[in-house]
Amino acid sequence: MNSWWIRPLVRLVAAALLPVAVPGILTALIWALPGDPASIICPPAICGGTEELAEKWNLHQGPWHFFSTWMKAALSGDLGNSWRMQPGVPVVELIAESVPWTAALVTMAFIPLVLGATGAASRWLSDKLDPLIRLVGLTPSVVLALLAAAAVTIHYGANAYDDDAMRVKILLGALTLGLADAALSGAVTGVRGLMEEERKQRYVQIAILRGESVLSNTLPNVLPAIAGQMRARLLHLLSGAVIVEVVIRIDGLGDLLWQGTLTQDFGVVLASAFAFAILSAVLLLGQALVEIGVALHVRRSPKGVPA
Amino acid sequence: MSRWYWTGLGLAAMGCVLIPGFFAPEHLSPSDLSMAYSSPGAAPPFGTDSMGRPLLEYALQGSRVIALPSIVAGLVVMFFAVIGGLIACTGSHRLEAITRAFGELLGALPRMVVVLIVALLMPPEDRSLYPIAISWALLAAPGAMDEASAVAARLGGARFVEALRAHGFSRFRIYLWHIVGLNLRPVVARQGMETLMQVVFLEIALSYLALQDTQPSFTHGDSEMSWADLLYMGYQAFLEVPTWHAMQLGIGLVALVALATVCVGRAVRPR
Repeated sequence: MNSWWIRPLVRLVAAALLPVAVPGILTALIWALPGDPASIICPPAICGGTEELAEKWNLHQGPWHFFSTWMKAALSGDLGNSWRMQPGVPVVELIAESVPWTAALVTMAFIPLVLGATGAASRWLSDKLDPLIRLVGLTPSVVLALLAAAAVTIHYGANAYDDDAMRVKILLGALTLGLADAALSGAVTGVRGLMEEERKQRYVQIAILRGESVLSNTLPNVLPAIAGQMRARLLHLLSGAVIVEVVIRIDGLGDLLWQGTLTQDFGVVLASAFAFAILSAVLLLGQALVEIGVALHVRRSPKGVPA
Repeated sequence: MSRWYWTGLGLAAMGCVLIPGFFAPEHLSPSDLSMAYSSPGAAPPFGTDSMGRPLLEYALQGSRVIALPSIVAGLVVMFFAVIGGLIACTGSHRLEAITRAFGELLGALPRMVVVLIVALLMPPEDRSLYPIAISWALLAAPGAMDEASAVAARLGGARFVEALRAHGFSRFRIYLWHIVGLNLRPVVARQGMETLMQVVFLEIALSYLALQDTQPSFTHGDSEMSWADLLYMGYQAFLEVPTWHAMQLGIGLVALVALATVCVGRAVRPR
């Protein structure tokens, strides 16, 4: 196919647009709703003087002014201050404190997914285990997180924020995130399905007859699809991290977004959504690079094949 | 086991989960402290809460909170899955590419982030599960469309339609009966049911998180109870409060939803 570059190009464009589009859409939505933005974010019955608040939050000169000012500041590393959650505190500080926790949680949760996917791809993980993995995957993350939170409370009690307790929380949180809501089962069955379909291809049968390994032949062809699956799994983990972090009390990015939503702190939500958009853009970029790399690789003459 | 067995079991589980919601009381019964924390044996069928109010009412109200929004979300995903499958049968590569690009963009953000943004924008007085459920369904739609499109492509896509046209079938019959009814049905029904389950779990998760922070839920009014209340109450059992019966009921309801999804998936699996 000559148009191999279209998909990676779409992803690269999407990756470039996402960090701009998310704050843009959020700003547009705030203005699209009936009523003025300041009173939507904080109803006059609670906050009083709406006009003063609009000026304080830079909402008084329309959506474009708000968006362009916020974006300009964001590009220079200033994500503004918290509006209602911790008024006046720079959101960058809150995000900087929370990102390492989320990174640790999601990275640890991703490990079993990678192992499961590798096991499924290489047939090391038997497909007889699939029903069991699927059954575990039916458990909602909130239920597993609740059990994990109970374990931490029973074991650590008032010391639930000690270093030891935090380590256990991350471990249990990662386990919850990795198993619940079909995270592991999706990775295992998805990759297994892809690989088994590819193994049925005629070129693989011929490669086996030529004494070549199955994996070296199939991998370049399925790698873009596997990269897509893994990106979807990581997004799934980031999504689930919100629930796990709040229930187990881990001060991560998901917890920050939740607290921002709960207190209707548009400053925090906008910045957290921007941070998530950047993470998503990085994942899109990664997938696009894999696709480009594979496309370039398969276009070279195969090694070891006599002319 | 036969399809009829799975169909019957799935419908029974779904019925147990969703239908009672239509008979839920508007408000919980008045408290009766003498009945506080009664076990299911002492206050059938499910026991009582700390105020002596029956947990049955919690279960019924929770069912009402999730019933219609989750069904609507399931139907939205089913609709989009059908559209995705039909697009693959039109043979229009441009339409397929546009749909795929749109799906890529829509699915690029973690779903929970979008859901929380929707929750933030909802006016507090109009809190309901509907906007959240529909947003979730829209985010799940590209995946369902992709799967339906893959099924249609395996079928032969536009060539399948052409072949049936050559047999003299009308387009209406080909698209609605042969493609949707006979071939896309398993994937459409499964995707719809999975979305229904995800919306139920999402409601429980959002309500649980709000309860944990002693805030009103985004998904229902303050006078209503969610199944998350049962789990939250059940959690107290770990702190030596006698609420194991609430935990068992909460987990039982969650299991019933999962069972319904599995059964429907088995019932509609391809032959």
